[in-house]
Amino acid sequence: MQALGFILRRTLLLAVVLLVVSLLTFGIVNVLPGDVATAVLGDMATPEQAAALRERLGLDEPLAQRYLAWLTALLQGDFGTSLQHGQPIAPLLMGRLGNSAILGLLTLTIAAPLAVALGIVAALRPGGLLDRLIGAIAVGAYALPEYVIGLLAILAFSIWLPVLPGTSLMDPNENPLARPEALVLPVCVLITGMLAFISQITRASMIQVMASPYVRTAILKGVPFRRVVLKHALPNLLPPTITEIGMYLGYVIGGLVVVETLFSYAGLGQLVTNAVSYRDVPVIQATVLLVAAAYGIGNLLADVVALLLTPRLRA
Amino acid sequence: MSGAAPSARRLVPGIRPGDLPGAFIVLGMAVLVVLGPSLSPLSATEFDPLHALEPPSLAFPFGTDEFGRDVFSRVLTGARPTLLLAMAAAALGVMLGTVTGLAAGYLRGAADETIMRIMDALMSFPGLILAMLVVVMLGPAPINVIAAIALVFWPRSARLVRSITVDLATREFIEAARSRGESRRFILFRELLPNVLPIIVVDFSLRVTSGILLAASLAYLGIGVTPPTPAWGLMVKDGQQFIEIAPWLVIYPCLAIALASIGTVLLGERLRHRLALPGGGRMR
Amino acid sequence: MNAIGQLAPPVLDVRNLSITYGPLRAVRGVSFSIAPGEALGLIGESGSGKSSVAYAVMRHIKGQATGTVRVDGQDIMTLSEPALARMRGRTAAMVYQDPMSALNPAIKVGEQIAEAIRLHRAADRSTAWTRAVALLERVHLPHPSEIAHRYPHQLSGGQQQRVVIAMALACQPRLLIMDEPTTGLDVTTEAVILELVNELRRETGVAVLFISHNMGVVAQVCDRVGVLYAGQLIEEGTTQQVLRTPRHPYTVALMRAMPAIGGPRRRLAAIPGRLPDLRTPPVGCVFSPRCAIAEATCHDVMPELDAAGHAGSTHHSRCHFQNEIHQRLPPEPLMEEEAVTTAVKGRPRLQMVDLCRSFRGRSALPFLRGPAPVRAVDHVTLDIPAGRTLAVVGESGSGKSTLARCVAGLIVPEAGDIRLEEAVLERLVQRRPRPAQQAVQFVFQNPDAALNPHRTVAEIVGRPMQLYGGLAGRALRRRVIEQLESVKLGERYLDLYPREMSGGEKQRVSIARAFAGHPRLVICDEPTSALDISVQAAILNELLALQRRHGTSYLFISHDLGVVRHVAHHVAIMRQGRIVESGSPAAVFGAPREAYTRALIAAIPTLEPRPQPVSLPT
Repeated sequence: MQALGFILRRTLLLAVVLLVVSLLTFGIVNVLPGDVATAVLGDMATPEQAAALRERLGLDEPLAQRYLAWLTALLQGDFGTSLQHGQPIAPLLMGRLGNSAILGLLTLTIAAPLAVALGIVAALRPGGLLDRLIGAIAVGAYALPEYVIGLLAILAFSIWLPVLPGTSLMDPNENPLARPEALVLPVCVLITGMLAFISQITRASMIQVMASPYVRTAILKGVPFRRVVLKHALPNLLPPTITEIGMYLGYVIGGLVVVETLFSYAGLGQLVTNAVSYRDVPVIQATVLLVAAAYGIGNLLADVVALLLTPRLRA
Repeated sequence: MSGAAPSARRLVPGIRPGDLPGAFIVLGMAVLVVLGPSLSPLSATEFDPLHALEPPSLAFPFGTDEFGRDVFSRVLTGARPTLLLAMAAAALGVMLGTVTGLAAGYLRGAADETIMRIMDALMSFPGLILAMLVVVMLGPAPINVIAAIALVFWPRSARLVRSITVDLATREFIEAARSRGESRRFILFRELLPNVLPIIVVDFSLRVTSGILLAASLAYLGIGVTPPTPAWGLMVKDGQQFIEIAPWLVIYPCLAIALASIGTVLLGERLRHRLALPGGGRMR
Repeated sequence: MNAIGQLAPPVLDVRNLSITYGPLRAVRGVSFSIAPGEALGLIGESGSGKSSVAYAVMRHIKGQATGTVRVDGQDIMTLSEPALARMRGRTAAMVYQDPMSALNPAIKVGEQIAEAIRLHRAADRSTAWTRAVALLERVHLPHPSEIAHRYPHQLSGGQQQRVVIAMALACQPRLLIMDEPTTGLDVTTEAVILELVNELRRETGVAVLFISHNMGVVAQVCDRVGVLYAGQLIEEGTTQQVLRTPRHPYTVALMRAMPAIGGPRRRLAAIPGRLPDLRTPPVGCVFSPRCAIAEATCHDVMPELDAAGHAGSTHHSRCHFQNEIHQRLPPEPLMEEEAVTTAVKGRPRLQMVDLCRSFRGRSALPFLRGPAPVRAVDHVTLDIPAGRTLAVVGESGSGKSTLARCVAGLIVPEAGDIRLEEAVLERLVQRRPRPAQQAVQFVFQNPDAALNPHRTVAEIVGRPMQLYGGLAGRALRRRVIEQLESVKLGERYLDLYPREMSGGEKQRVSIARAFAGHPRLVICDEPTSALDISVQAAILNELLALQRRHGTSYLFISHDLGVVRHVAHHVAIMRQGRIVESGSPAAVFGAPREAYTRALIAAIPTLEPRPQPVSLPT
């Protein structure tokens, strides 16, 4: 009952957050000292060109009115028209959202359990060989931007040792799962980044849990070590870790943008970097909003799962 | 004892061997930031078509790019647009975060609610996406990139400082100050700030790493820097098309980014260790 | 019980146990044994090594242990890990200080008990569960089959400790190790838990190793007592012998430092000096640096733990002069009763008129509704005369700390007035004029948290002088030194940080700070409850001396009736936000009118074993 109330309130909060996010996105695009028309056309544009574009985008109307019009259209599924392609944005987004989701979910389902397991293993003997090894790799993987790892992987596995394709170039409407070999490198790069972070977070909380008085109670009750870890430590470790993973989704999304650009993978990230180079403001605005919404929903799901895994709060 | 971290000023003396690798790398990077351009043997921007795409040699230790520019000189010169940017952004973000976090955490109530809801809204954008949006709208200039990255760091720092302040504010020494009739400013800056300071120092060091990564990623996506500025991320982006015939074009700038961020991570980890902060603050 | 004890082999036999943590020699050559069904208490202040000994018996310490520890005949120092796991929880089981954190928050309490049964008795799930419910009933928890399904946070502190005890008894162990099992519990809860322990001992015949800092608690439970000081066992004997006719100067000093609820009012005697540095313990008697009767031999030769009185006595003491202690030690000073009884005429220094304050509870999660508001202070009216002490006594949650914070202006009361010498004070301290702020000062419970860890003693004590008196420079420094000397700290403390001082020293700094602005009222919120008994005595004496010297009034908040009897001119008993009874200490403690006061007094663990169980009015 309590859980249901929590989910309801949390969903309500998400709606409020999304509204604020739409306001912020719109604000950054329209209120910041840069002018949309100049951002689109560049510094070389003549005043006439700028005026024409302003009129086409309806930029001369009052801000509030434009925001409301944009928001109502959004709620009806109309994301506006791309300047670059001259097409409605919504269908463009949806196909790519699916592609990005495949990449992101693949990463998450492989990396999250693996990272938690590595963190626990490292925490069982802090300062031990395994811990130091995992820690060193984690620091390295964390410190390198995704494209550095990605380029090294391309050099190693598709140029020097040509076993995997170095690019996932494809048609946006093609199903990426049809060519699984093109997914291997991008997913591996994303996993590396995630392993680094989540394993170290897990390690820190696991050390804390293992030092807690209730774990001492279990040990002095004669519970075998394996069971102490699995039955006494884990239930207290998982909920906060899952919340952390939810917060980390933001980094996964950032990583997606870079990795998709690197491998020419037709996802939202590639769409937005393309839009940036063509200064396609409506597309940028729509993509940012969509990505923020996905992040918000991911966070919400993580919170709900964490709650469901905390028996004393579920009751 | 009471779990309070030792004060920052007591830390400075007594460097231990474990601190050295990180410290050396960071020191080296600082030298590059200051002297980079004057250390470069050749120009970082001038074209030399006769020596295009030459592999590393004695004359060009890191090879040359498609316009015949010396990659070694470009990497040395590129430290400034990458590292200085990251440091400035981290400093700005952490400073804003500290002030807002302290205020929200100590005042509580409506001020806290308002401030933290704004911070939550900023945090509901993935960091890179927010930075990207802001730079695109403000236009490509180093100062805009700094502002954008600082905007990403601000809510995260504010949250950290606030949570520590909320905890400290319930301590009896704060009650003692209040019952003595101290002003709000005295409590915030004379009683609370010294206790938050070690955490801010560590937070700053971690933000510098994140800043390097963010700035390098933005540059790689072609956002915020315009050619021919030799930013490391941009060099990787431009060199990527020649990866099969001239891998040195991506390898050396990649190594520079890796070295810089690993150096700051190592130093930050040592700091955190020294200040006995609980784990989990890493890599934020 | 002793007759059986000498025949049967001991359940626990510790020989020459030493424990080191790096360079720290925490325990040195401790030997004792416990016969079947016997209860041995180990008494010691912080740093005595008593908890290290308890956990060494379970072989669960971080440090290095040498010597032999035999539990039921098995030398646990040489056991393999699996054999150790079989011993733990089955042969010997443990009860912990803080039951809330000792229970796993994610597992139902019934399951936590049943798990032990399944592991050690190879019982199936339902048998184990049934037995767990029976155990919960055994420790007198109401509705045991329902409680078994609850999580620890849904139980009160006393109930949690019963669960921990039930868990310890799950496999009918031969030995129960109890590490400060009632510390942190309210005195009435403590009394019922101790009664439960006695009942279980009678009925199950389990042997008990009982660790405590509280001599009264030990006297309620134990047949024999050992006293630990700086890692050594310095006295051992039956409870009667050790607590009635102690044969070691340290034990005597502890007794003299302990405020009692009954008997004539004595002057509490603090133990001078501090615990020796355990990295380089003294070569002679470990207590000699602080001992009132130490002679040259004491500093040079370490005494053995010898039988006191006649050879073969069960009473042992590690003192060269164990047989002439009482002739050598000065007699105990009594206090003049006169100061307590004379009434003070004239206007009161502080008046609390009809104060009210309630709190809304916090919900367990964000976005959830919290519980209903609680009345923490409920129409409280009290006076404090000039130069006198009003003690407000209550258990946890009684609202006594909230009352103190209302007077200080840290918490704003919803209704009622606070009057200082008949002038109504603003409710919020920041709105009070400087003289009013200066007049009311606060001494807090926890000396670690009360001092800013990043300020030196000079800054901490000097701040009120700067703020109220505008002192600076050399004049300020001179006044700070004077102030430190008035609480028996000297110039050498000026540049120390709080973490470089002991708990007692920190509390002295706290008191120096409170008195730095010449206050008229000092609010003392449990000022000694975080301190050892010997330090507590010194702090209480200091507070009494300062009051006599400056004519300061005290609002003294405490849960400890013994301490209150020692310092108060007037006592108010508080329960659930209300004052249930008030009057002079002699009246309230001698002839309590309310049933709650009587129960509170009856629950205090004294050195006499209690004849009948305590019952709490509802």
